Amino acid sequence: MSKAIEELKLKRQGQFKKRSSQVPCGMICIVLAVAIYALSLQISTNHSTFWIIGILIGVTLQRSKFCFSASFRDPVLVGSTSLLKAIILALIISTIGFVAIEYSNSGGSESLDWIKTMGQVHPVGIHTAIGAILFGAGMVIAGGCASGFLMRMGEGFLLQIVVFFAFMMGAVIGTWHFEFWDKVLISNSPTIFIPDYVALPFATIGQVIILLFLYFLADWYDKKNSIMSM
Amino acid sequence: MKIYNKIFKNPWTYRTGAVLLATFNILLFYTTGRMWRVTNGIVSIGAFILEKIGLEPSKWYYFTTYRNIDIKTSESFLANPYILLNLAIILGALISVLLASEFKWKKIKSKKQLGFALLGGVMMGYGTRLSFGCNIGGYFSAIPSFSLHGWVFAFFMLVGAWVGSKILVRYLL
Repeated sequence: MSKAIEELKLKRQGQFKKRSSQVPCGMICIVLAVAIYALSLQISTNHSTFWIIGILIGVTLQRSKFCFSASFRDPVLVGSTSLLKAIILALIISTIGFVAIEYSNSGGSESLDWIKTMGQVHPVGIHTAIGAILFGAGMVIAGGCASGFLMRMGEGFLLQIVVFFAFMMGAVIGTWHFEFWDKVLISNSPTIFIPDYVALPFATIGQVIILLFLYFLADWYDKKNSIMSM
Repeated sequence: MKIYNKIFKNPWTYRTGAVLLATFNILLFYTTGRMWRVTNGIVSIGAFILEKIGLEPSKWYYFTTYRNIDIKTSESFLANPYILLNLAIILGALISVLLASEFKWKKIKSKKQLGFALLGGVMMGYGTRLSFGCNIGGYFSAIPSFSLHGWVFAFFMLVGAWVGSKILVRYLL
């Protein structure tokens, strides 16, 4: 094994002369990823699916330098909305995809509750606003959102490891305090699943139209304000 | 070699990233019935650590009332598949950066930067418990779930990011 890697190393070094190649290390990591995949198969196929999709998400986040924090920060700081537009595009695709899964699972029957029971549907109220403001300010200050610090940990940013542990601490303290917030705010708040009010086909079309509108709004804002496009 | 460079050396466009991330989220929902979330797994790691040092987080109100689809009551915190997903994201990013030969340890520049990282991290983490989700579970997966809280979260995250940007300009830059 190590011999094969050494050979590979020499081969690769010839191809990237300027900087020492890290491809062999990358290969070792791929082997590790495959090994963990095999191990996770023994827990359940469910776990192995989470693993493999996680690897793909990690590669995608790193390759495309996808950063949710920047998508909210850049329109304010430099007037650029190219990331925000990409996220809106992803939301449109996800909406259509989730609805397709909903219909394929219900098999044409009336019971449309796959997204409602398994998806991210939660109470909405003042607590959402407080949490989101804390989150939004925190991610800009820390220089990375939840997906961002995971990705940057992989890239070797020591600071993001600090952010990770601080995040974990904050989340655990929040979990501990949850009883208080639940009694004061959350338990009185409704869970609003939009298709309960408008039929799913209309909710889907409506949501896609709103997202498209936001996309073009962001596009217009970028052309007007971006310091990059001037 | 041209294809290798295209995939692993040159950065992808945001649009490519967006299409792929949406596809992976749909794929995850289709195959496992769960959507992409980040904080859920991180809370489980934290709770597991607390359990190891002798506390009983599983008796906390949050886990006794809101555990429902996260993990089954009989399972340990480590059984949460979202832990695996988070670790996979870190390893996936590492693989990607190594294949591009761009990995470098990036040191912490100053005490100030460290302080802001700690503060920002705790704020984010605490916020997620109030708003049911981070930028992934409370936004990237919540809006396509047709939950109103996703939209409200997005709007106030923008407000928060604006506040954060002001703080950043004032104290950090």
